[in-house]
Amino acid sequence: MKKDLIHITTVLAFAGASAIVGAQETIKLVNVLELSGPIATAGTNYRNGVELAVKEINAAGGVLGRKFETVTLDGQSNAGISKAMAQRAVDMGAFAVIGPTLSGAMVVSAAETRRAEIPNFTGAAAASITQQGNPYVIRTNFTQATSMPKVARYIKDDLKANSVDIIWINTDFGKGGRDEFLRAAQKFGLKIGADISSDQNQVDFSSAVLKAKQSNSDVLFVYTNEEESARLARELRKQGYAKPIVGEATIISQKAIELAGDAANGIRGHVALTVDAPTAVMKAFDEKFQREFKVRSDHNGIQGYSVPYIIKAVSEKIGKVDPKAFNAALRDMPLHVKDYPGILVSVKFDKNGDPDHESYIVEIRDGKQVVLQTLPPNNPF
Amino acid sequence: MSARRHLAGLAVVLAALVIVALFLKRSDVYLLTLWAVYLMATMGLNLTAGYAGQMSLGQAAFFGIGAYIAALLLKASWPFLAVLPVAAIVCFVVGIVVGFPALRVQHHYLAFATLGFNVLAYLAMRNEEAITGGTFGISGIPRPTLFGVDLGGHLAYWYWTLGSLVVLGGLLWWLLRSPWGRAFTALRDNPIRAESLGINITAYTLLAFAIGAACAGIAGVYYASLVEFIEPGPFHFSTSLMMLLAVIVGGSGRFYGPALGTAIVILLPEFLRGSSVPWLKFMQVWYLAFFGIAVIVLMIWLPGGLLSLRERLDRKGGPQ
Repeated sequence: MKKDLIHITTVLAFAGASAIVGAQETIKLVNVLELSGPIATAGTNYRNGVELAVKEINAAGGVLGRKFETVTLDGQSNAGISKAMAQRAVDMGAFAVIGPTLSGAMVVSAAETRRAEIPNFTGAAAASITQQGNPYVIRTNFTQATSMPKVARYIKDDLKANSVDIIWINTDFGKGGRDEFLRAAQKFGLKIGADISSDQNQVDFSSAVLKAKQSNSDVLFVYTNEEESARLARELRKQGYAKPIVGEATIISQKAIELAGDAANGIRGHVALTVDAPTAVMKAFDEKFQREFKVRSDHNGIQGYSVPYIIKAVSEKIGKVDPKAFNAALRDMPLHVKDYPGILVSVKFDKNGDPDHESYIVEIRDGKQVVLQTLPPNNPF
Repeated sequence: MSARRHLAGLAVVLAALVIVALFLKRSDVYLLTLWAVYLMATMGLNLTAGYAGQMSLGQAAFFGIGAYIAALLLKASWPFLAVLPVAAIVCFVVGIVVGFPALRVQHHYLAFATLGFNVLAYLAMRNEEAITGGTFGISGIPRPTLFGVDLGGHLAYWYWTLGSLVVLGGLLWWLLRSPWGRAFTALRDNPIRAESLGINITAYTLLAFAIGAACAGIAGVYYASLVEFIEPGPFHFSTSLMMLLAVIVGGSGRFYGPALGTAIVILLPEFLRGSSVPWLKFMQVWYLAFFGIAVIVLMIWLPGGLLSLRERLDRKGGPQ
């Protein structure tokens, strides 16, 4: 029995082992991102983007003479763990916390960074995150409330559709997007046909596709994670679904295209950020990312890459490296690509931390996103 | 080992837990609290699976029921101490309702029946949006203030959870040494003989299952208040598997088994990946793979769990 107790104490002592303490001069960025679990694709891409930008900035001399240092903690796509990791990031003395991407996890961990008054970047898309009055949240992604009206308008005006079916994933992400889409569709006078929910990690989409076929609306709108989107795309082609398929961010992402193969061709959708954007900086980023990671980046990688450059741009503009001053100055400050190419797209964050920038309607052709339209920012700056 | 030595050992461990927390960072205290919370649930599961021999894969469902009851009632300004018995009683009753038909089948079949219950409970948490908030979950769950003491701070909440854990542990210890506890082990080891001695098998298995469920419900209350946010994810049946793993790795049917097993399942992965020891640095990337392999090796070499290590060594070293 005594031995048992010794075992217990040893293991508990392990837990007490303290974390890494960095040198004073570096600017510490702590990624609390999903490297495992259902949304590991998003988290890993985001992390890769951050690392690439940090490498470049450090090689070019850093920010006001100080270099970036990054630490990545796996939030495991789990809110309870992400909260612990956000606390650890605070304990480490982070300048900024990057992530989580999972909306539920972000809500919990943002409470920790807020308490410590540390800027918290996130790619999470649920509208509620920036609506809770947390002054330290900075979103690098469009909220669903921003992007869904753009999708609905495109379906109504450009595809001349009157009715639409929806296949969505029943998670906070999917449910939030579906609710916003329904609101937008109603506003534009689109009739909703079949409203089909699916599960995270769902493998068989045959009945979902069958329902959509039987409903026979003019367009199918798909809002599931990347991996489910690819499976769904294959099933749609298998059953010979012939109506236009439209998505937002995920089904037209690089990862979904890679997994879906030819089945992705012809799918259209709205993306806030794409490596196929017709600009020189994005093209350069695309090449660098491919050279480094052997795959093309999706919108998460672009967001991750822009974060260190945004910190650099704002810090140099205000002349100091200070998390609180950075957080205050960032809001309502227009940042233009011509001055700061690393940010990849001209952007302005509002008081809530939501970004405004141009976005794109794309179509997948031969496994690549082809930009059909460039949509202007909601409030040009 | 004498009772006095046992108590002295336990006191040393508890004192260490109290003192060590003073020197730990917020995140480590949080993980320690998470360990204590899961331990409440795995101690209950140990009663069901380890002592009464009923393989249950539904513990996370009861954990979730407790957490949702806590979230709803605490947000409605119920006092924490009133929420605890409500969660425990509801889980106990649900345990009896689920257990009554489910316990007609045993072992593997019971595992599947309880797994089915867990899946149903998960779907209810996700789809009954009006009550549970669906996939958006419930946020802003308050931490309690008891007798004028605010338990919102990380240390205060840790001491409160640790104290509660000791009380719960004490109750289970007493239960296991009562005639009831002896009846549980009797029906695990030889149900026919137990029945012939006048033990009502159905009643006692049901009781063990429902008490185990109540422990999970209590753990759920502490969990909701600890994380301050809940959504259906943590109550997926994979958590039930994790809890069963903790019981088996530690040593099922041994009182301190879950304490060790839960530490390994909850704390060890975090330690491995948070490690700053140079030769452990590669663990930051490989910790999940390492953890998986370690569990497999352990189960082959020590099927009785870590606490059977000494017996295993004695058997090897001593006369055959």
